Amino acid sequence: MVSQAIMLGIIAGIGILDSRIFGALMLERPLVTGLLVGLVLGDVKQGVIIGAQLELIWMGIAGIGASTPPDVVTGGVLGTAFAILTGKGPEVALVIAVPIAVLAQSLGVLVRIVNGYFMHKAEKFAAKADFRGVTLMMWVPPVLFFLSVFIPTSLAIILGADQVKGLINAVPKTILDGLGVAGNLLPAVGFALLLDMLYSKKMAVFFFLGFLGASYLGLNITAIALFGACIAIIIHIVINNKKTEVGNGAMAINNLTEGEIDFD
Amino acid sequence: MTEKKVTKKELRQVFWRSLALQGAFNYERMQNMGYVYAMIPVIKKLYTKQDDQVKALNRHLEIFNTTPAISTTIMGISAAMEEQNANNEDFDENSINAVKASLMGPLAGIGDSLFWGTFRVIAAGIGISLATKGNIFGPILFFLLYNIPHLFVRIAGLRLGYRVGVSSLEKIQKEGLMEKIMAIATTIGLVVVGGMVATMLNVKTPLHLNINGAKVVVQDILNQIFPNMLPLLITFAVFTLMKRKVSITKLTLGIIIGGILIHSAGIL
Repeated sequence: MVSQAIMLGIIAGIGILDSRIFGALMLERPLVTGLLVGLVLGDVKQGVIIGAQLELIWMGIAGIGASTPPDVVTGGVLGTAFAILTGKGPEVALVIAVPIAVLAQSLGVLVRIVNGYFMHKAEKFAAKADFRGVTLMMWVPPVLFFLSVFIPTSLAIILGADQVKGLINAVPKTILDGLGVAGNLLPAVGFALLLDMLYSKKMAVFFFLGFLGASYLGLNITAIALFGACIAIIIHIVINNKKTEVGNGAMAINNLTEGEIDFD
Repeated sequence: MTEKKVTKKELRQVFWRSLALQGAFNYERMQNMGYVYAMIPVIKKLYTKQDDQVKALNRHLEIFNTTPAISTTIMGISAAMEEQNANNEDFDENSINAVKASLMGPLAGIGDSLFWGTFRVIAAGIGISLATKGNIFGPILFFLLYNIPHLFVRIAGLRLGYRVGVSSLEKIQKEGLMEKIMAIATTIGLVVVGGMVATMLNVKTPLHLNINGAKVVVQDILNQIFPNMLPLLITFAVFTLMKRKVSITKLTLGIIIGGILIHSAGIL
């Protein structure tokens, strides 16, 4: 159990460092951490399924701009792990992952505040052209980020597994089924967040194009993406080649109100 | 005096270091530590006098924030400008940061909609559709579909930024190419989100009515009127609340509690 807990902590650590020092390769997303958690706990299939469910729910959550979003890494790893360990489905993952992500967010905020200290130290080193000092100040915060998820994740698995099992078993079936319904509804939040970024009255027709293509023609997502690309190219390059509509772009930029989304 | 020049070696170092852009993210100046860290090889190569090195380090410790995937393009431009500065006494040092500041906003706009709103949504959409069946290729495909264009933009952007410098990027911006890319990305993103609302929001009502002993399933009626009507309505209801500044956490908790209540009432 302890070795598994440490490995899960490392998965969370890699996940949190993804957007820090690995160039945001999507290693932080529940879809990926779900697979890794499944590998560690010996149930890859369940890990992948739960990861997909959590990915849908957190689809729209992004570290855009200066805002610190809910911590999908700690939430995703612990939610998937406890769902597998208790032998229950994605409903359990959901009820664990969502509150943990909100709680863990505050640790992320704390690290970002503390980082200000190292930044000022770096300025002092810069004043002496001390490259090594600046580099060192750059590399302390990633260690803090790592520990801020590694410790809670490992401890939660070691100390919490039995309690969580007991807790989950005590929850009545109607509530668990209701959570399943909630889990099916929650991706709407993710989609709404994406719409918040992409949607405008003028562009609304494209949303409905995809929606109707899936609803009436039964197209899958790959087909929809490919048709969408063709249509976008036809409209914006073939037809509208001479005069670019600055309006569209400007509008899209305005839609991306960074940090305006209230995560609290 | 020999011409000072940034070589392939430094650019390669900038590329690797750019991955750590947000490593020391802080609220005061955001990605500044990562930016200066990426520029160190260039600064070391171009400046030998301590005074010049200090100035260059301080320049790149100024506030910076953009989409990480796009950052290399700006770093390429900074490298080209530092090179000019090192070789030309009359070069206006302040222009280096002025260019950074003027590019990071618009490029973040494009970067977020291209990477966050388009590549990621398409990759996740395809990945999730496989992963919900427990297929291990779901996450793998998601990872590859996102990162192939992602790493291409990182590498090509760095080269482009260094080679063509500021003037060409401004020209591209004036010609409206940026807006065109934005419009294409937004279009594809919206089409895919529309498709995902229809296929991935699994909401059905078990309600049925008894009319003169005949059982009428409500979901069948809804399907006949408009398939996937419930997912569409729910998405726009949440979207409307979000526009009215209801926070994400409140919405999430509201849906969890609401889901349990609605299920107990037998509606969903």
